[in-house]
Amino acid sequence: MNFFDLHMHSAFSEGTSSLEQLASTAKTLGYKGICFSSYFSGNEVIKKFYDEIEKIKQKVGIEIFLGFEARNVKELNMLIERRKKFDILLARGGDLKLNRLACETPEVDILTHPEFERNDSGLNHVLVRAAAKNDVAIEINFREVLIYSKKTRAKVIANISRNVELAKKYGAPLIICSGAISHYELRDPLVMSSFATTLGMNLKYSKDSISKVPENILNEIKKRKSEKWIMPGVEIIKKVIK
Amino acid sequence: MDNAWSGNNKESDKMNREEKLKILLPTLRKKSRYIKFQIISDEPIVYEDLEQSIWNTFLDFFGERGTSDFSLWIIKNLWNEKEKTGVIKCNNKSVTQVVAGLGLIQRLGDTRIIFKILGISGTVRRLR
Repeated sequence: MNFFDLHMHSAFSEGTSSLEQLASTAKTLGYKGICFSSYFSGNEVIKKFYDEIEKIKQKVGIEIFLGFEARNVKELNMLIERRKKFDILLARGGDLKLNRLACETPEVDILTHPEFERNDSGLNHVLVRAAAKNDVAIEINFREVLIYSKKTRAKVIANISRNVELAKKYGAPLIICSGAISHYELRDPLVMSSFATTLGMNLKYSKDSISKVPENILNEIKKRKSEKWIMPGVEIIKKVIK
Repeated sequence: MDNAWSGNNKESDKMNREEKLKILLPTLRKKSRYIKFQIISDEPIVYEDLEQSIWNTFLDFFGERGTSDFSLWIIKNLWNEKEKTGVIKCNNKSVTQVVAGLGLIQRLGDTRIIFKILGISGTVRRLR
C-alpha cells in the first residue's frame, strides 16, 4: 500500500524544518509521496519552489508535490486562476465563507481542518454534500490533535468526529494529513490510520484515507496537467481540423 | 506457635511462593499482540523515561479504565538502546488504540521523538 501525506509546511511558509528534513523523515516513516504546502506570494515563488523540490527529489528519493493553501476567498480565487501552475490546491478551513466556497469549487483538492479555531465542526450536511459532489477531500488534521491537550483536545476530537460522521453519510472523501510544521510532527502512516479509527472510521476506510484518496487526487492532477484538460468535466478528446 | 502469618515457618513460606494459579484454558486466555517500534530522535533515549511517558500518555488520553482494557506491557528485556527499538505487548482487540496512543507522544523530557511502527505480530519470535 502506498501512503501519502499531502499537507505539511516547511520553513518556506510557516514551518520550522527544511524541505530536506521533512522529505527524509517522511521517507523513513514509509511515505511514497508528500506535498509541501505554502502560501501564495507571487508567480516567481512557484519556480523557486519547483527548483528546490527537484533537488530534494533526487537526493532523498521520494515523490514531492507542491501545494498552495488559500487563507481567504480572495487568495482562493487568485489560485484558481493559476491552477495549472502547481499541483495541489488546499483551502484553509475555519472561516465559514471559505469552507463553503471550497466545498463548492471543483478545482479545490483538499479543505484543510474545517474545524480550525472554531467551537463547531465548521461543516454541515449542505457543505458535505457539496464536497462529495465536487470531489473535495475533507481533511483530518493530525496536528490539530497533537498540539492541544485535555479540554481543548477533547473539543477538537469531538468536532473532527462530527465531520467524519457527516462525510461517511454523504460519501465525501476523507483524507488524513499530518499538517506538520516540523519534521518531528510527522507520524507513521499506521499511527495516523489507527488514530482515525478512534474517530469512528473502520481500519480499511482509515487506511484508504491515507492511501487511496490522496492517490486519486494525484491521478486527477496528472490529468489536469495534460494539455487536453480544460476545466473539471471538460477535456479535449479529439481535435477536428477543417 | 509458628504459622504462615508469622513469617517464621520457612516451609510454609516456600509453599506459598510455589503456589500458582492453574493456567487458563486456551479459549479463555486473552490473545496477545506484540508491537515492535523504533524511536526516531537526535538524542539517546533512557528506557525509564520512555516507559513513564507511554504510561502517562495512555492514562491521559484513554483514562485509567480505557488503559486497563489494553493489557499493556512494555517489555524491558526487548528494549535495544543502540537501535532505539522496543516491543509493547497488548491484547489483540486493542492494537489500533495502542498504536494510535503511541502517535500522541511527542517528547521524552526535552527530546523530541517520533514513533515508527516496525511490525505487529502474535509472537515475539516473528518480530525479531
